Amino acid sequence: MNSIIITRAGTHSTIQDFGRFQYQHLGVSPSGAMDQRIISGLQKIIPNHQNQFLEFAYVGPSIKVKEGSVKICVGGNCNMSIQKNNNTQLEYQPYKSINLFEGDELIIHNTIDSVYGYIAFEHGLGLEPCLNSYSTDTKAGIGSINRPLNDEDIFNISKDVSSWDLISIPKPDLEKVTNFKVYPGPQLQYFSDNSLQSFISGVFTITNQSDRMGIRLKGESLISSESHDILSEGILPGSIQVPSDGQPIVLMRDIPCTGGYPKIAILNEVDISRISQLPPGTKITFDLQTIY
Amino acid sequence: MYFKGINSYGDRGLVLDFGNETSRSISQEVNDAFLNISNLNLQSLNIVPSFNKIVVIFENSHIRDQNKDKINIKMNETKSQSNKKVTKTWKIPACYDEDFALDIKIIQKLHKISKEEVINLHSSVNYYTYYIGFMPGFPYLGDVPSQLITPRLATPRVKIPARSIGIAKNHTCIYPKVSPGGWNIIGQIPFDIFDLQSPKPSLFLPGDEVKFFSISLPEFKKIKKYNFSSNELIKEYSS
Repeated sequence: MNSIIITRAGTHSTIQDFGRFQYQHLGVSPSGAMDQRIISGLQKIIPNHQNQFLEFAYVGPSIKVKEGSVKICVGGNCNMSIQKNNNTQLEYQPYKSINLFEGDELIIHNTIDSVYGYIAFEHGLGLEPCLNSYSTDTKAGIGSINRPLNDEDIFNISKDVSSWDLISIPKPDLEKVTNFKVYPGPQLQYFSDNSLQSFISGVFTITNQSDRMGIRLKGESLISSESHDILSEGILPGSIQVPSDGQPIVLMRDIPCTGGYPKIAILNEVDISRISQLPPGTKITFDLQTIY
Repeated sequence: MYFKGINSYGDRGLVLDFGNETSRSISQEVNDAFLNISNLNLQSLNIVPSFNKIVVIFENSHIRDQNKDKINIKMNETKSQSNKKVTKTWKIPACYDEDFALDIKIIQKLHKISKEEVINLHSSVNYYTYYIGFMPGFPYLGDVPSQLITPRLATPRVKIPARSIGIAKNHTCIYPKVSPGGWNIIGQIPFDIFDLQSPKPSLFLPGDEVKFFSISLPEFKKIKKYNFSSNELIKEYSS
């Protein structure tokens, strides 16, 4: 048996995969990793990841091997080190697999100039899926682990490391994008020409009221000529909804399944991953596409 | 026929539009279409019905465009047929005891009716499940008799007990688990309606009918002891 213990949980550490689908009509959000580009990269290094990725934000977790050995790989832009069991420190770069042995501790200090990072574990973390997915939706209390990770959480990995060989891939292209191409949302026509002009030419700032559910933006007010309270309808991640205060919210992975605010526009899938990595204070702009 | 057509929702979604009104007959058409589209086994990630829309979500625009015609054909096919599907009716025990009926006095006061009248009215109607949303397994049921129509609480409650029955405007609901919320709470049911261990986690599906019947506190406690799973419930309370 191999096992690891969370020695410091970090602030927003959860288990995620590529998402939970086919249940949104029952009120279950798709969830899934905020930056899916990173876990796509990690699965090339740890092919047998069992879809059990550890996601962290800002302050990373620390993980110690309690028993046996595990092969892991970290993805994202982060500040980290490995404290070996003989008290020596090891430099470690992301997107390289590494074998950790009893007493070794991976210490992820923080993400750098980004928000989310990930750890893939060979053979996964010994978890059972919940509604066909390992993702955690902390607000709905759904997931293999239906809460954020805590200090002292222990994971047992019954299978041994398959081979001590190490793999690395070039760092995936995570170029910082701040201008986003968007497509018209279902209620685009509710917004006056003035508001549309403000949306297209204005600069919006990502606020710190942003999480896995949505990114709240601050900028010029966008006013819907019809009510800002519309009848609830199905929504998808990346939608930019505008409540009555006129400040847009980009809906992210833990979306409410139906929403009652007009949606001016929607991001494409890869831009959901891109925007998730922009820390509060980042200024962004939108470029409205007419053909979709 | 309320169906108006299919619009794009960004690069990977579709919206089936059934107009801007709401009614039980519109929702019946929406929920029939929802079943028909679900049965097409499209390569979709999610199909989400609501009062007068169905949103279909795909992985990318390529798959979306491939599947759009299939939906169009199905919608046109069913246009000519009157779709008489068998509706499931759930008979759900409800305890309106004062321990659970946290806001029943608000409704009594607003409509100048007795507690018994609220209970009789609430349990007199076969409600329609418009859709499931807000939180996992939360059914939007309606319509409540006009003498019970009550606005949401001015200040939402921080913690509504699990399995509580609520009324807001012309809808009634059951909270599957503890949650903040603004509905007027008038009672509680003795078992869970959302079970993560089940392959069919939600007891109710869009389009189901639900009728409440009043039970006493001792009866409530007795049923609660059985600790029903959804599977047992299906045998016990559906017709």
